[in-house]
Amino acid sequence: MSATRTQPVNPAVLIAAFGLVIVVAVPFAFIVLQAIFPELGRGSLAAPFSRILDVLVDPRLIRMTGNTVLLGVGVVILSSLIAVPLAVLRALFRVPGALLWDVLMLVPFMIPPYIATLGWIMALQPRGYAEQLFGFNLAPFLFSIWGIIFVMTLNTFPVIYFAVSRTVEAVGSRYADVGRVFGASAWRSFWRITLPLSTPGLAASMLLVFAMAIEEYGTPAALGRRAGFDVLVTGIDLRVSDWPIDLPGAAMLSLVLVVMSFGAFLIQRWILTRRSYQITTGKPQKLEKRALGRWTVPVVLAFVVVSFLATAVPLLAILATALSRTISGGLTLSNLGLVNFAAILADGPGALKALTTSLSLGVAAALFTGLLGALSAYAVVKTSMRGRGLLDVLTILPNALPGIVVAVGLILAWNQPWLPVTPYNTALILLLAYCCILLPQPVRYATAAFHQVGDNLEAAARVFGAGPMVAFQRVLLPLILPSLLASMLLVFAVATRELVASIIVAPVGLQTISTYIWRQFEQGSVGLGMAMAFVTILITTLLPLIVLSLLGKRGSLL
Amino acid sequence: MLINTARGSLAAFALLAITGTAFADVTVYTAGPASLIEKLAAGFTEETGIKVEFFQATTGQVMARIEAEAANPVVDVLISASWDTATDFAERGWLVPYTSPNAANVPDFLKSETAVAQGVSALAIAWNPNSKTPKPSEWADLAKPEYKDLVNLPDPAQSGATFELVAALEAQGGTKLFEDLAANGAIVAGANAEALNPVLQGAKAAVFGAVDYISFNGKDKGESIEVIFPASGTVIAPRPAMILNWSKNQDDAKKFIDYMLSDAGQAIVAATNLMPARTDVAANRPLIGDLNILTIDTEAVYAGREATLAAFAEIFQ
Repeated sequence: MSATRTQPVNPAVLIAAFGLVIVVAVPFAFIVLQAIFPELGRGSLAAPFSRILDVLVDPRLIRMTGNTVLLGVGVVILSSLIAVPLAVLRALFRVPGALLWDVLMLVPFMIPPYIATLGWIMALQPRGYAEQLFGFNLAPFLFSIWGIIFVMTLNTFPVIYFAVSRTVEAVGSRYADVGRVFGASAWRSFWRITLPLSTPGLAASMLLVFAMAIEEYGTPAALGRRAGFDVLVTGIDLRVSDWPIDLPGAAMLSLVLVVMSFGAFLIQRWILTRRSYQITTGKPQKLEKRALGRWTVPVVLAFVVVSFLATAVPLLAILATALSRTISGGLTLSNLGLVNFAAILADGPGALKALTTSLSLGVAAALFTGLLGALSAYAVVKTSMRGRGLLDVLTILPNALPGIVVAVGLILAWNQPWLPVTPYNTALILLLAYCCILLPQPVRYATAAFHQVGDNLEAAARVFGAGPMVAFQRVLLPLILPSLLASMLLVFAVATRELVASIIVAPVGLQTISTYIWRQFEQGSVGLGMAMAFVTILITTLLPLIVLSLLGKRGSLL
Repeated sequence: MLINTARGSLAAFALLAITGTAFADVTVYTAGPASLIEKLAAGFTEETGIKVEFFQATTGQVMARIEAEAANPVVDVLISASWDTATDFAERGWLVPYTSPNAANVPDFLKSETAVAQGVSALAIAWNPNSKTPKPSEWADLAKPEYKDLVNLPDPAQSGATFELVAALEAQGGTKLFEDLAANGAIVAGANAEALNPVLQGAKAAVFGAVDYISFNGKDKGESIEVIFPASGTVIAPRPAMILNWSKNQDDAKKFIDYMLSDAGQAIVAATNLMPARTDVAANRPLIGDLNILTIDTEAVYAGREATLAAFAEIFQ
């Protein structure tokens, strides 16, 4: 039951719809148009549908699609296997050093995937850091489908870890205690009560991981090519970067990705609508965590191993490269120094400008997607407006769109000669790109949170005379804020380091952190690029932590 | 909270709008090294007072942007890393004919009516002397057992110059060399920088067909890398600069081309370890006259590009 049924038009819904049209529908429409009309870029609608058939009958399409599904499912399974047990332990028990583990699990978000992959390559390839220090290399493993899944899992599992630990914490042990009172064992009440009630968070985060895995470019490009493992995103990149440029072909392949992600979305929605997951009823809840007892040592050990692999190894490889004067010099004392960091300082204005640009874009993207995400999720979950299903679809679309395709869609949409004003060729186009690519994160988190908030809370506010906006702002928003803030943090981290779309749509003369780093790599200055990457990771990790501790929200957020 | 967020968003929005880029007098899209265009732009502005904004990426990314912008293009000057672009754009009628007065000392094969080279790179063997392998001198050496599993090739599908090298060598001796390389465990490893990195760390011993200036730059920084030009010949990759016919700043664009070919401009090119386009400008590296350059029948080679790439991919599958 929704309280908004009495109100003809809820302003929250209108704002959400307008925002979604600008941020998602416009670029997506141009991608679809591009797939249909090959000459769209020249402003011509000639020869419609002429390219669709030869893209779809390409025998490579089936292989690439199969590989993409395999990769997505593999990453979701491995991520869940790692993240769910740790998250449940973190939520229900007093894990020693819990806050430290949370921070360490946060770091993989802050490491750009292409940097982490390069770190792994430099650590594990023959004569890499592992061989220099310990005498072994794992090249055959790394350059295989298993290596790709492994590296991508370490980049994405924190999504599930944070989502599940938060939802399980919200479910708390109260409902399970009821089960215990009625005679169920601890295991049984966990499996039958706590875990099922945590489904929204788990399903939402698994969907996100699947979408991130099928859309990610850096890792499959760096590791997959050598394994002969091509996925849709690398196929799209080839069509966009190989002259003559094949934009219609790339748009078609992107639509295949969209269909795939949409399928995953339907499965998630089917799971969520089968039953009610409302657990936040307004009754005060005491958060009581249990002691681990004799399991303390094994549990801490598990946290140590996972955070070592996910955080320490890539960070150390990045730092080692940044501290090396030359790559060929290896890890010898005489070859180590601060030359690369000094070079960044020497290029103060350029590096600083790139940092400020990316950080302000990151903050702006987090605020916009947070606001739009909360409103959209509210419109979908808590109102009975017509067309809210369509809104929900719009929020999931960008999930499956590779950054490069979003970039092309944005250029096609906003570089039309008849537009009186356009964000194109200003920093705003980057903001639009980041908002489009990252909007699904806040929406998924907020949707999961709204599913757990009882309808009677909003109804109570309306009974006492609050309008829909006031009820949203004073009652619902504070309740979902912890989840929303976490996702905004994620948006900030990813937006500050987004590479693929940034390269294509960045206005002339504007550098972001990622394009700065990428240019260093491209010129062969790997050490300089890694030094900049290290500085960035430090800043993007510390900044949110400082903000959060100032807000006093740390406990509830992490 | 909602109001605060909205206010914060608006403030951030305003801030970004201010930092948005103003349109410059000349907009250059370049696939060259970033440091080169930075210095050329700064020197040009200093000499003429004309502002330059540039967009730098790989050739493919630059092309993708031009293609997506086709309805309302903003680029005035394009500098590609592949001469093929100049030929193709000229055929499409997108280029402005222009011969710079400073191009007198640019050899004929590095200029056309609508394009002129900024500088030239060549492909070479980039070999790590610390790799405990003998120093190679010929392409075919890298198919010997001493280099088993130790050779990287840049992907000809991603690097235009590598594609021309493959075409030129296959025109000489068929596909046997590449079959031997594949049988010897050589692998195709991404674009140019990706292929070089494992050689620097020592995972591989040599790159077959490395872009020379990147390796020279690494050597200048103290990396253990040697650039070897096989006596049997190699291919060069001139970097054509051209003015687009939709440019509204064609006079300033011409001045930019003039500056690029001036003594000062060519000295900047030489300082990045590229070969200057002008033969009368000195550089601290082997020049075009020092190399045995393999010529290819460009038209026929590019007509058969798909088949060549497919056969190449088949060999290294």
